[in-house]
Amino acid sequence: MYKTEIRGKLIDGDKSMDQISREILAPIDAKTPKWWYAAITVSLILFGWGIYSIYITLTQGIGTWGVNNTVGWGWAIINFVWWIGIGHAGTAFSIFLLILRQKWRTAINRAAEAMTVVAVGCAALFPLLHMGRPWLFFFIFPYPNTRGPLWVNFNSPLFWDFVAISAYLLISASFWYFGMVPDFATIRDTTKSKIKKAVYGFFAFGWTGSTKEWLRYEGLAFVLGGIAAVLVVSVHSIVSTDFAVSVEPGWHTTIFPPYFVVGAIFSGFAMVLTLVVLMRKLYRMENFITDSHVDAVCRILIFISLIMGTAYITEIFIAWYSGSPYEMFTFFHNRITGEYALQFWGMFIFNALVPQLFWFKTVRKRLWVVFIISLLINWGMWFERFNIVVTSLSKNYLPANWAEYHPTFIEIGMFVGTLGMFAFGVLLFFRYIPMIAISEIKMVSKFDKPQVVPHKEKSHE
Amino acid sequence: MSKKFLIGVFDDESALIEAFEKIREKGVKVEEVYTPYPIHEILHGMGKKTHISHAAFFYGLFGAIGILGFMYYAAVIDWPLHFGGKPFNTFPSFIVVSIVATILIVTLATLFTFSVRAKIFPGKAAPIVDVRATNDKFIIVLDRETIAGMESEFDQLFRSHGASEVYEKE
Repeated sequence: MYKTEIRGKLIDGDKSMDQISREILAPIDAKTPKWWYAAITVSLILFGWGIYSIYITLTQGIGTWGVNNTVGWGWAIINFVWWIGIGHAGTAFSIFLLILRQKWRTAINRAAEAMTVVAVGCAALFPLLHMGRPWLFFFIFPYPNTRGPLWVNFNSPLFWDFVAISAYLLISASFWYFGMVPDFATIRDTTKSKIKKAVYGFFAFGWTGSTKEWLRYEGLAFVLGGIAAVLVVSVHSIVSTDFAVSVEPGWHTTIFPPYFVVGAIFSGFAMVLTLVVLMRKLYRMENFITDSHVDAVCRILIFISLIMGTAYITEIFIAWYSGSPYEMFTFFHNRITGEYALQFWGMFIFNALVPQLFWFKTVRKRLWVVFIISLLINWGMWFERFNIVVTSLSKNYLPANWAEYHPTFIEIGMFVGTLGMFAFGVLLFFRYIPMIAISEIKMVSKFDKPQVVPHKEKSHE
Repeated sequence: MSKKFLIGVFDDESALIEAFEKIREKGVKVEEVYTPYPIHEILHGMGKKTHISHAAFFYGLFGAIGILGFMYYAAVIDWPLHFGGKPFNTFPSFIVVSIVATILIVTLATLFTFSVRAKIFPGKAAPIVDVRATNDKFIIVLDRETIAGMESEFDQLFRSHGASEVYEKE
């Protein structure tokens, strides 16, 4: 049982349930604000640059990118790993905080899951286009074919990756969607517009809130929650094996899976913070996403940041302790010093040092500082992936093979394009979908009020 | 002939639970309860059970066996290929795909089961009893036939336990 006296209120303002529905649904019924049109125009322009870059890539090939024989993975893989990392927020929020019984997650999990679906969609574009002939992407699917049938290599991390990413996308999308069904029914039953009634009614799947439905809904949530918990750790572990399985200095280490998973959750939480601070400000959701919510996310970030710092130092220590000259060269001459030192120190400062500012209450209380730090973490996590992908590849065993890598206009365009795509998806989410899980908020809102009937049995969630 | 129902509308959860338990004490079957969020006392009291987690377990079991079997067939029986001197049946590296694909199978199959069992699907017209049940009201529905002759008694029961409204509906 949640004790408000001890842990504080989950939502502010002592709202009635009708008020909760109305306030969360207000952005859907209200006139679209002007800033929304401005923002969606900007996101579409960025997205347009991305579409142009994809067009060039499809018609002319990977030669339009800055990658070469030595640095075969450039911005595309950096961005892929970055977006997948951000995409861990949804499951991390919904599942980890569910397992840890953190009731405050209810105000944020919808937004985190929405972000996850869009981010994983962005991520999936990169390996797809990196295939060179993306129109033959279905070759990676093990289907009975006329070439033998020649099956895929089940030992290849690239195939594991394909399975992991497509499963993650489907599962997080369905998890997100089924959470929304009761809320769509609320829109259907409260809206005055006939069109909205029809559209949301279609997507509400005929939901009425009967015990037959809730009983199975709870059962479903239990199963999906339990089983998707594995995905929080499995997806980025699998992504890390793309690197860890190859014999490259700086990649071939056992720390990679946990290091990637923690990094993914770190960047996911940071992006959630970015988004939630914006959402709270733009839609005046201060009563639902309270100061203590922001505070809680900041505290989590301190902890994860400490793990990140430990991981960075461990990697450096192991490089020295291994005695391998190649490892030592990569870490001491190509990361800490050398031409990519900027990216290394960017990573270290933004991920391991800057979030430590959250120890101070004055920092956690100032939303604009929190917002800036969350952006810096996102940037730092991008540097981390640059650091991993480019430094190891550019100078490995044979000096004759050493090469530099610079992204081209097309590669930058693809990254900016996915930023536009992400912003576009998030803006649509703000506008058309209840951005806070209404039925879950109603459930926790009762904890704020004195309980009349002593509950006979403890509810397990 | 369409059934007639007695409907009690409650404003909060505790009043609903109290009235619900009183009705059950009288040994009358509650037709249905509509709430804006799941209430465990009610779900428990309605006496229905869901076996969705058992179903999910079997989907997972057969899914995992199926996937491992498929990979064994593809890599060992149908087209054995040497990869760096490893055995054809590289079981440890099959585990990765098995876990992830099993989770996918369980999720999709359980969602489908949910949809079938709860009779929920895209575009279904909702059989709405009281439109406020998805917003802020808690609704108890009693079948008039099961309480034949005791209508006024139940009307009283609803009201004395804080029902804000009691009405009849076909």
